[in-house]
Amino acid sequence: MTRFWTNPEFVRHRRAELRPVRAITVGAVVIAMCVLLGMACWSYERNILESAMRGLETYGTQAWKDRVEHLQVQFAHNAWLLYYRWLIGLQGVALTFWTLFSCAQSVSGERDRKTWDFQRTTRLSSVEIHVGKILGEPVLVYFAVLCAAPITLIAGLAGGLSFGTVISVFVFLAMTSLFLGLGGMWLSTLLESRTRGVGLIGALALYGLTMGMYGMKGGGLPGLAAMSPLAGFMDLLGHSPDSALQRFPAVLFGREVPWLLMNILLCGSFSAWLALMLIRNLKRDYPEIRPLSRWQAVGCAAFLNFLIYALLSPAKPHDFLGGMARQGWFPDSKTVALFAVAMNGLILFLMGLATLTPQERLKVWRRKRATGESAVFANDGLPWPWLGISAVVAYALMIWGLLAWDHSLPLDMGTLQGAAIRLLLVAVFVTRDVLFLQWCLLTRLRQPVVKGFLFLCLYYGAAAVLTGLAAVSGEEAARWMLALLTPVQVFDPNIKGMAFPVATYGGLALQTGIIGVLLTAISGRLQRPMRTGAAA
Amino acid sequence: MIELVNLRKEYDDVLAVDDLTLTIPQGEIFGLIGPNGAGKTTTIRMACGLLAPTMGQARVAGVDVAQEPERAQQNIGYLSDFFAVYEDLKVWEYLDYFAHAYKMPEPEIPARITEVIARVNLEAKREAMIRGLSRGMKQRLGIARAIIHRPKVMLLDEPASGLDPKARLELRHLLRSLRDQGATILISSHILTELEGFCTSIGIMEKGRMVRHGSIEEVTAAATSTRLVKLTWAGDSLAAVGEKLKSDPRASDVSLSGGAGTFRFSGAEEELAPVLAGLVAANVRLTSFGEVKQTVEELYMKLSTHEVM
Repeated sequence: MTRFWTNPEFVRHRRAELRPVRAITVGAVVIAMCVLLGMACWSYERNILESAMRGLETYGTQAWKDRVEHLQVQFAHNAWLLYYRWLIGLQGVALTFWTLFSCAQSVSGERDRKTWDFQRTTRLSSVEIHVGKILGEPVLVYFAVLCAAPITLIAGLAGGLSFGTVISVFVFLAMTSLFLGLGGMWLSTLLESRTRGVGLIGALALYGLTMGMYGMKGGGLPGLAAMSPLAGFMDLLGHSPDSALQRFPAVLFGREVPWLLMNILLCGSFSAWLALMLIRNLKRDYPEIRPLSRWQAVGCAAFLNFLIYALLSPAKPHDFLGGMARQGWFPDSKTVALFAVAMNGLILFLMGLATLTPQERLKVWRRKRATGESAVFANDGLPWPWLGISAVVAYALMIWGLLAWDHSLPLDMGTLQGAAIRLLLVAVFVTRDVLFLQWCLLTRLRQPVVKGFLFLCLYYGAAAVLTGLAAVSGEEAARWMLALLTPVQVFDPNIKGMAFPVATYGGLALQTGIIGVLLTAISGRLQRPMRTGAAA
Repeated sequence: MIELVNLRKEYDDVLAVDDLTLTIPQGEIFGLIGPNGAGKTTTIRMACGLLAPTMGQARVAGVDVAQEPERAQQNIGYLSDFFAVYEDLKVWEYLDYFAHAYKMPEPEIPARITEVIARVNLEAKREAMIRGLSRGMKQRLGIARAIIHRPKVMLLDEPASGLDPKARLELRHLLRSLRDQGATILISSHILTELEGFCTSIGIMEKGRMVRHGSIEEVTAAATSTRLVKLTWAGDSLAAVGEKLKSDPRASDVSLSGGAGTFRFSGAEEELAPVLAGLVAANVRLTSFGEVKQTVEELYMKLSTHEVM
């Protein structure tokens, strides 16, 4: 492992992007912009002071006099602080945006230029390529930030912020940029050159999602807001116009923690998962990319489940029409369980997507299985056993999580029993959907997973229409239709314990049967004879 | 030096390479011949670690490419039919990048870059930006990249496609000199004249299978049981030549006209000497006499149309 500044990939980017003329130009432009920005901020504060002085001249009251004196005393401090906020804000936007978008084109761009194969045939390890790209692709914006950093530091200190705060903001920015850069690079790894446009749309969505996390500050998992640079800036710069930020502090296991720590924990852990996926796959040929191994996928699902209980903030009791009520997402343990089940539907589906096995590997697994060389739980086998393991792990974590929160959200056995059935139902439906996608992967469809996903959307749309039609003949018929075809009944909060309607169990049996049919269909596909030639 | 053992590659329900076993010893230039879609590119991509085989093993210089890809890459120089380069670098920077990426010892790199640049005749362009180079120059730079780390094995997938005749000739010279230095070369092509007089052995691939492989002599011998002999003479000796050849039971398909002719000979190469002596003794004034060597193209056509299978 080479040092990062001698990493060939980093050096390549540095040489290409930072030729002396360009570096001097960028440096000069950045410094010129800083000077202009400084003048604008000084001018803005000067205008405020002058308008106050005009007010004093016009009205001559003590209040105006006090205001003018205050503004005069605070003039330099206010101007520097305003200057600092603009500087760091602009750097934040440039750094996060540029890092994400340059990394989002890193691998797909190399594929597009046909240079990727040559890089893969060098002795550079995945880690070295990965480090080189994350540091090298956005090197120009790093340089621009580096040029502005001393001025920003001076502005922050002169603006009255502590050295620690100023450094914390930089750490915050670096962590968020790292996460976005890795996210962008992973997106880029998943895309073939011809779908670069889709990559840019994906990068925009990721940027929007990360920024939008700020909205979580008022939700049941307020700590997630720390992933957005906005939350951190508001807190770190001591400028929180939004009182909601105080009402919903970042909590970890119910304890308040600084936004910066939460940002480091979340961005750091998500970045670690992304880095693992990248390192596993960077040197693989495109069709052989599989985000995680089966055990890693189970670990990732467990980590996401763990986050639910670590970050949740129970609803706070407040006075409502003379009585006490709870305000927030999670007023009781049953709601937490329902939320966890719903989230596990998503987590299991994503895990299923990540563990779909390519046809080639599945055939080899089937052959080895026939000779007893491979097991059901093999890495190249079908995804369903691993979805089962993940569901069991999720349930175990749910028991742990609900017991851990028992002091704030009292737990009863009925909640746990009901959650078991709900999770089972969700796991069965997700398994069916994932096996359907696996079957699609064995057909000759182009973009089989995307098309399979669209077919699933079509299926759920059709199920909704059929439920609507059944509703014409009565509510019970609609309930049966819904229960047989979709897992929606799982989320009915009025069902207590295990007292689910018969239709729900009917749906469970029907979907288990469909899983059997899908497994037979997959087996049939795997037994087809091979054709020879014309593959390259 | 290159060992492919039961190498197999499946793409969905297509079998691209079917249990290919092949050993190419050091110093060989092995020509992999076959039509498009025969599995040549897939074989080369598996041999250089770009593609994981479905089953089987590819070993280069004794290193399993799938198990220890980075160690194996040290010995491999890979070149494909396109010469993509980083346009925003200078010529020497591009080679410096790959020298470092192949983890060459730092002190050796500057001298090696100079040596390789000289070898591909790009000395004048050392400091030039790659985007300003002509296509031919970029191709030469691609070749320089492939040899920068002194690989023991060169895997070349249609390396001459798109090259002009001069560049093709230069590529041949370069590959010959690499072979003379002990490198083993696996080169694929469907332009058979490209490999003529250049490969020491060939392999013919069709539908993912190796139809025939070995030295050119071995493959020729396997492809045909008779030799085609051509002769020319001065004067009016047509009848004498015809009589002499027809009296030899090993000669067949005698075709003579004017002062030239051909016949098929079923004996060994050294048995042609008495035939030549007999013709001279019969006062035939021979001006030329010799076996017509089959071109790689003719051999391929014979083998691929299953004439000898």
